[in-house]
Amino acid sequence: MATQSDTDQIQGFGQVSRTTGVIFRYLLMGATMFGIVTLAILLVYVANDAIQPLTADAGWYLVFFVTFVAPTTLVGAYLYRTNVDALKLGLLVVGMLAVTLMFSGGVAIVFVDIVPPLVSLSYAIGLLVPFAAVVLMTKYEDAIPFTARVAATGAIFFLSLFGIPGYYHSIPEMVQKIPVVPTEWVIITLVFGGVVAVVVGQYFARIRENTRAGVVAGVAALAATGAAAVSGMFTGVNPTALAVVAAGAFVPTAAYAGGAALTREEERIGLLLAAVVIGGSLVGAGIVDVLGFAGPQSWVDWQFLTSSHSGTAENAGLYPAIGGSILLMVTVAALSFPLGVGAAVYLEEYAPDNVFTRFIDVNISNLAGVPSVVYGLLGLGVFVTYLGQPTGTVLIGGATLALLILPIVIISSREAIRSVPQDMRQASYGMGATRWQTVKNVVLPEAFPGILTGTILALGRAIGETAPLIMIGAPNVLFNLPTELSSKVSAMPLQVYAWSSLFASEDFYTKAVPAGVVVLLAVLLAMNSVAIVLRNKFESES
Amino acid sequence: MSTDDLETDLTRKTENSPRELLTRSFFFLCAALSVVTTISIVALLVTEAAKFFTLTAPLMGVTGETASIVDFLTGTTWQIHNKEFGVLALVSATLMITIGSAIIALPLGVATAIYLSEYASKQARSVLKPALEILAGVPTVVYGFFALIYITPAIGVVLPGIGTFNILSASIVVGIMIIPMVASISEDAMSAVPDDLRQAGYGMGATKFDVSTGIVVPAALSGIFSSFILALSRAIGETMAVTVAAGAQAKFLNPLDPSSYLEGALPMTAAMVQLLTGDITGGGLAYRSLFAIGLVLFVITLIMNIISDYVAQRYREAY
Amino acid sequence: MTSNTDDVLSRRKFLIASSAVGVAGLAGCTENNSGGSEGGDSGGSEGGDSDSSGDGSEELSGAIDIAGSSTVFPLATAMAERFQKENSGVNINIQSTGSGGGFANYFCPGDTDFNNASRPIKGEEEDQCANNDITPVELKVATDALTVIVNNDNDFIGEGLTVEQLQTIFSAEEAPTTWSDVNSEWPDEEIEIFGPTDASGTYDYFIEAIIGEEGPGHRQDYSATEQDRTIVQGVEGSEYAIGYLGFAYYSENTDSVQAVPVENDEGNYVEPSLDTALSGEYNPLSRPLFTYPAQESLAEEHVATFARYWMENSTSKEIVADEVGYVPLGDDEQQEMLDKLNAAIEEAN
Repeated sequence: MATQSDTDQIQGFGQVSRTTGVIFRYLLMGATMFGIVTLAILLVYVANDAIQPLTADAGWYLVFFVTFVAPTTLVGAYLYRTNVDALKLGLLVVGMLAVTLMFSGGVAIVFVDIVPPLVSLSYAIGLLVPFAAVVLMTKYEDAIPFTARVAATGAIFFLSLFGIPGYYHSIPEMVQKIPVVPTEWVIITLVFGGVVAVVVGQYFARIRENTRAGVVAGVAALAATGAAAVSGMFTGVNPTALAVVAAGAFVPTAAYAGGAALTREEERIGLLLAAVVIGGSLVGAGIVDVLGFAGPQSWVDWQFLTSSHSGTAENAGLYPAIGGSILLMVTVAALSFPLGVGAAVYLEEYAPDNVFTRFIDVNISNLAGVPSVVYGLLGLGVFVTYLGQPTGTVLIGGATLALLILPIVIISSREAIRSVPQDMRQASYGMGATRWQTVKNVVLPEAFPGILTGTILALGRAIGETAPLIMIGAPNVLFNLPTELSSKVSAMPLQVYAWSSLFASEDFYTKAVPAGVVVLLAVLLAMNSVAIVLRNKFESES
Repeated sequence: MSTDDLETDLTRKTENSPRELLTRSFFFLCAALSVVTTISIVALLVTEAAKFFTLTAPLMGVTGETASIVDFLTGTTWQIHNKEFGVLALVSATLMITIGSAIIALPLGVATAIYLSEYASKQARSVLKPALEILAGVPTVVYGFFALIYITPAIGVVLPGIGTFNILSASIVVGIMIIPMVASISEDAMSAVPDDLRQAGYGMGATKFDVSTGIVVPAALSGIFSSFILALSRAIGETMAVTVAAGAQAKFLNPLDPSSYLEGALPMTAAMVQLLTGDITGGGLAYRSLFAIGLVLFVITLIMNIISDYVAQRYREAY
Repeated sequence: MTSNTDDVLSRRKFLIASSAVGVAGLAGCTENNSGGSEGGDSGGSEGGDSDSSGDGSEELSGAIDIAGSSTVFPLATAMAERFQKENSGVNINIQSTGSGGGFANYFCPGDTDFNNASRPIKGEEEDQCANNDITPVELKVATDALTVIVNNDNDFIGEGLTVEQLQTIFSAEEAPTTWSDVNSEWPDEEIEIFGPTDASGTYDYFIEAIIGEEGPGHRQDYSATEQDRTIVQGVEGSEYAIGYLGFAYYSENTDSVQAVPVENDEGNYVEPSLDTALSGEYNPLSRPLFTYPAQESLAEEHVATFARYWMENSTSKEIVADEVGYVPLGDDEQQEMLDKLNAAIEEAN
């Protein structure tokens, strides 16, 4: 590059290595980007196939450009240049609304089609009553011996959840037998919306240091949930679902945004971005509707999300698979979280340094490397063949997937527990705390965000697994949502696989499969981003 | 060590209270479950596979058809219809997937690790690492679909002879899938290289390139090696991507012949899925072969994991 | 400190929750018919041309588990989809496990109510079922016509192919490399062969019908593919190619490739079509497809109703032929199957 001269010759080595260095650097960067860029291109392709953006009217694009793209870009660029923290806040609010919408949509499915609100309520009461009794007992901790307390706790929970058949009804049974009950949406509004309202109220009471403000906020939250439900009765949308979505998505997001507006004066300008994004899309949708511009003929549409499989790709839907994935996730989380955290606590806090502990240690890292299809065989062999369970149920699907992710949960929980400073434990011991008290009051609360992040990532892995479900004989097609642990279950990836292998016609390839892939990826990205946001928050705090 | 002693001192008195015993045994049971899982896997695979082989079936009280263990382990023809169970046909396909994905993932993974640990700014890392995690988080059935629908036709433009189902595109997606695994474990190993070594290199007038390739990589070599083995073991066990994209016809192919990568074949994991979902006739023997393949797969991945663990242990001791 | 506020919080939550129930008593209440039966979310288009006897009178409920052949799978889902629309209380779960795997691992152990099969049940499978007190009821649901296809430009095969010629082309024994090896009058060009993989039921049946179970077996040097789509593409792309696949795929691609008339047992060359398969003229490459309900399961009303529904619609051209691509039953066959089914249902009760 530079002209040749004597001095250059002397620096020749440095020159060469600098060029090499630059090339090397860019090679490394290229290598790092390779996978990410390839995946991004594939995502663009599949999104194009599923959503078909080119089929929309030019007018549709024009409207959304004016109402949505242009203002968002302007506000975003302005914030980026003036106040990055505000931009982050705005993005967080938008992201929070998107994720909570998805999440509460899932919860709505549970209440509408899996466990009716009354049944859920009856079990919630069945759990709360003994829980209250146990809390009461803890007050008299010193008066009652420990073993008696444990026995009493067990007995209370058993009696209230199962009763004594023939003599005494369990609490859920009694609640379900009440002759006159509120309608479903009223139950949801009062209980689900009520809990959210209490949390929102406490949040506002804290940030304003004013109980009255809290009460006002809580009442407003409850009123908003109720209003959403009532509006459902006029628009024909299921009011129960609306109440869940309002309480689970709109109210918390609004509360968070409101709280931020009150407390973070520097950054509250960022809420403008959220307002522009939400307002712009609503206004755009309204204008498009009035002017009659057709949007893209997306295969991912309301019909796809809410109907079940069909022999024709246009009418096929993912609903039973979505419900199945939700139920599987609940089961997997319920099994793997306590077991995984328990094992991690044992290995980090209790285990003596001996051969057996080291064996468990090596064993867990090996289990993490066992192929998922072998876990499927384990589920098939142990649960179906030896224990005689029926194939393909929520219970054995959940149990198999839980075993699969257990090593991952254990490993990430151990890391989180290990990162709790030793000083804190010693301080706790120094105050006379027992090992269990230290674990309960110091280690677990400190490690909780890390454990949660690891568990969410592991659940993300479980939600995408197909092979174990095939092995345990989960059905390829079903039409209703599973309602019990013993119902047969399908899952989103399994449904996508069934469409791509058993209905190998062009139509399913170009319509149903890309749509299914997009929904599945959207759920996974949402879970991953929650985990990443949690982790960043946790890392910046500690 | 000393803090452990301190803890033991501080907690000795309460260690045997009923509550401590109860919680302690609960946590112990949780940890022991992992051992139970391993034992169940081994016991199940061994007993079920034993029912498949002529040699061991009588011990299991199985009458009916069986297959020769020698033919199973040395045969190169897998044709369920003709009752030929030569697992090498499946192993060759798995091997090809592994080689193909290794060619992609190992260099890219190590390069990524060097970039992240030596070159990238903190900000770049905070974006790149989650993005790489997403590569590993995409469901494998989705990768299979990508390979079949987008990658194979794209390759077909350059290499018209490629089959609808082929090893090449399946290896590419498996390779992309395991890049993050190579990268993150290698990066951990590189970050564990003491800064003193780097400083010494710079002090000698070495450039960043020299330090990265001449000091950091060699010092982290055992960690990098362990990441390779772990990632390849993952590639071997990968199921849905190869089931969807690699094909369904068992063939014994020569892994060293590049042209055979354009053909479809049946890897072990895909064969297991096929045995449970395909429309093959005949129940018993074919069904039991499932567990025999499972055993082979488990043993291979187990050995690789143990080697990787062993190598990783060594490098941890080094610093 | 944290635990303290948590306590307050949960106690307050509990208070709210319990008072909520009280308040609700004053607000919107309904009579509790225990269980909360929400109407189904079904809707949309009409089902087939059914006049099922079971619907309307009483809401059916329960689960029906179906496993078995992947060949029959699309037909079973098409029937289930329509049945489900009329009876939203019935859960139908369908799984593709292969005919044999379905019998051995699901049906005979009593796990499923129906097993689909692309071949009749085998003696050993019947024994296994009998050991578990399961009585399979054989119901024919459709006919699949295997179709041999060649390129549109192929004019030398003339009238068609004989079974012997097909046997020569596809068996491992002779494995001719050029067309002239099969018939010296045909061009001296390499035969390109396409077909399904050995894991498919179509491959199995082709061996049974053409090559013979005891013979040298199917040749292995052919382009095997899991997808019928690629067989059509392969044959379409090469003038000297031949392949075989299910009739469903040929019927969607009649412009791309031509079906070879195959000599039947009466010595006539017959082209595959719905009519020739239905009349039995197109043989030996047409095969019956079955479903086997368990007689024990037929005692349950929802299972029996679904079985009847399936049989009643088994002559529907719209469902069986147009949507799935198989040959529907003829009226006589349908009556025979219905009688058999009704007898089994009666016996079960």
